[in-house]
Amino acid sequence: MSAIPVNIVVLVKPVVDPKAVVRFRPDGTIDRSAVKLVVNPYDKYAVEASIQLKEKLGGKVVGVAMAPPHAVDALREVLAMGVDEVVLLSDPRLAGSDTLATSYALSLAVKKIEQELGIVDLVLCGIESSDSNTGHIGPEVGEWLGIPSVSYVDKILEIHDGYAVVKRLIEGGYSVMKVKLPAVLSVAGTSYQPRIPSLREVLAARRKHIDVWNADAVGLDPSLVGLVGSPTRVVRMWRIEIRRRGKIFTDSDVDVAIEKLISELKKDGVSLGV
Amino acid sequence: MPLDFEFTKEQEDIRSTVREFAEKYIAPKVVEFEEKQEIPIEITREMARLGLFGILFSEKYDGLGLDPVTAGIVLEEIVRADITFSLAVAYLVHTSWGYVAYKYGSDDFREDVIRKAARGDLWVGIATTEPGAGSDLVGITTTAKKNGDGYVISGEKAYISGVREAREKDAWFELGGGHVTLAYTDKTKQHKGMSLFFVPLTDPNITIRLEKEFGRKGWSFGSFVLNNVRVPETYRIGDEGRGFYIAMEGFDHARAYIALACAVGGKRAIELAAEYAKQRRAFGEPVATFQGIQFQLADNWARLEAAHALAYKALWALKMEQEGRIGRFEVTKIAASAKLFAVQAAKAAIDDALRWYGAYGYTEENPVALALKAVKSYDWAEGSLDIMRLIVAREVLGKEYIARRR
Repeated sequence: MSAIPVNIVVLVKPVVDPKAVVRFRPDGTIDRSAVKLVVNPYDKYAVEASIQLKEKLGGKVVGVAMAPPHAVDALREVLAMGVDEVVLLSDPRLAGSDTLATSYALSLAVKKIEQELGIVDLVLCGIESSDSNTGHIGPEVGEWLGIPSVSYVDKILEIHDGYAVVKRLIEGGYSVMKVKLPAVLSVAGTSYQPRIPSLREVLAARRKHIDVWNADAVGLDPSLVGLVGSPTRVVRMWRIEIRRRGKIFTDSDVDVAIEKLISELKKDGVSLGV
Repeated sequence: MPLDFEFTKEQEDIRSTVREFAEKYIAPKVVEFEEKQEIPIEITREMARLGLFGILFSEKYDGLGLDPVTAGIVLEEIVRADITFSLAVAYLVHTSWGYVAYKYGSDDFREDVIRKAARGDLWVGIATTEPGAGSDLVGITTTAKKNGDGYVISGEKAYISGVREAREKDAWFELGGGHVTLAYTDKTKQHKGMSLFFVPLTDPNITIRLEKEFGRKGWSFGSFVLNNVRVPETYRIGDEGRGFYIAMEGFDHARAYIALACAVGGKRAIELAAEYAKQRRAFGEPVATFQGIQFQLADNWARLEAAHALAYKALWALKMEQEGRIGRFEVTKIAASAKLFAVQAAKAAIDDALRWYGAYGYTEENPVALALKAVKSYDWAEGSLDIMRLIVAREVLGKEYIARRR
């Protein structure tokens, strides 16, 4: 069977570097002014999956991000990894968008790319973002585009005859699903360890042009984005202190200590599978 | 040119890429370096794939065409992940001496050897020291005799880094490696009769012997005997009689990188020990709250900051020299000052930091203890500290104050 090329849009979110020291403003929000933005680590699995599919089947991989203009630097990394081109969707009118508004804007960017490429077979994204961890974007983009979506995809096993067969993580195991293309897949798990690009690729990525699209370029309805288009309201942010209550069983007889530990855990509603 | 401590975006990209690699591939293996006395082969192979062995070589020869400051950034990330300095040796020796070989080697040599070095298929080391000559290089006895279209080299080199890694093919490097080797082509002319040659250690007429190294055990250290080793004329690096001078230039490069490695390694040791001092409690408090530790920390950190800045000044001077904007002797003076200062700053800092651990400082699992043994090597490597002092004094006082040979 000859490989049929697939065109892939991979959604990447620039986030505050999870390794950076984050400062909070008095109102509880993150001070984003002085922190470095990086590609959401979860999205890098999706990027790796996209590149592996391209290497195997051919086709084109286009990255799409929605962020303020200065996020452009963070996107160089996915170009270095092997994404063919990256588009940054950036417009002051998008500020304050929640996941519903964001997924709407991203879905229009996907449509515009589809017009340019003729067809988009797959939209890939990470399972969630490291800064807000909602996991909404993949399924919501699927809804806006009117195409199926699968979340928690560990591995894309095969693509043929207009379908993708994917291995999907479920609690305690996995399931294998067949999904009609085009589709949105949220990639989770560790099957796609993100590659580290060579310095030559890193330097070449720095010289590449990154297109910046505003709201008009994708023809979006301003009433559906930004704060006005976002039903989600952030009412208040506060810091939660998580206290760990360690309990040490000092019985000299280990079996007795274990029995006590098990009964304590059961009392707390922990399922031990026995 | 304005003074500016900022790195370019390209340099920041390179730093974050190398950091990701170093955290993922190097850091988890560091204790093994010392235990097994070798670096896992996949690490040097992966470094080759990333292009880390080709930083300074021109793109024409498959290098990246970058400058010594950028090479320093890569070194910083390697040292942060491995303060046993084993990989620092592997990287900085190749980077310095590979560059000198590239600069003075012929086009044929570049095509034949440098291209492989740039791809990381072959490692470049340095061999000047002998059992009877180190600081006093005029005392070397290795000779290279012209013979047809090549040279025949005989002699012995001692206390040389990377002899095993260069000897073995299909191991750390696909093709093994070779050492930039100092030999007399005309003994009567003393240092003006020396020449440099690239000598592949894979040559069957070479035998190697390994020393039991005191520290940084991941990268081999030993001697090799050359018994009528034949190299083509193209393997001569620079003109006959220029070997001593070219070697001095190579030392400037290596000393700048060593200074940086020491500054960063020292800082890393302080960071690691400081984390421990926050956890370790004595007399009812974390020991980090004691001013006895805090004052040591501050004094050492301040010296390391100075060493760090001076090391980058030396790398900057090497870059300026490449652009013809600064003289040879000025570079030599800055590089020697940098090594002289940074090695001492690092040794003092690591020694103090180790004491914050209590008796746990005196174990081989403690990375800071391994760092202390490693930096000790820089009392000698690439020019002893006293030679650094003589160089700085000579450049400040003038050549007429060089002590006479008796």
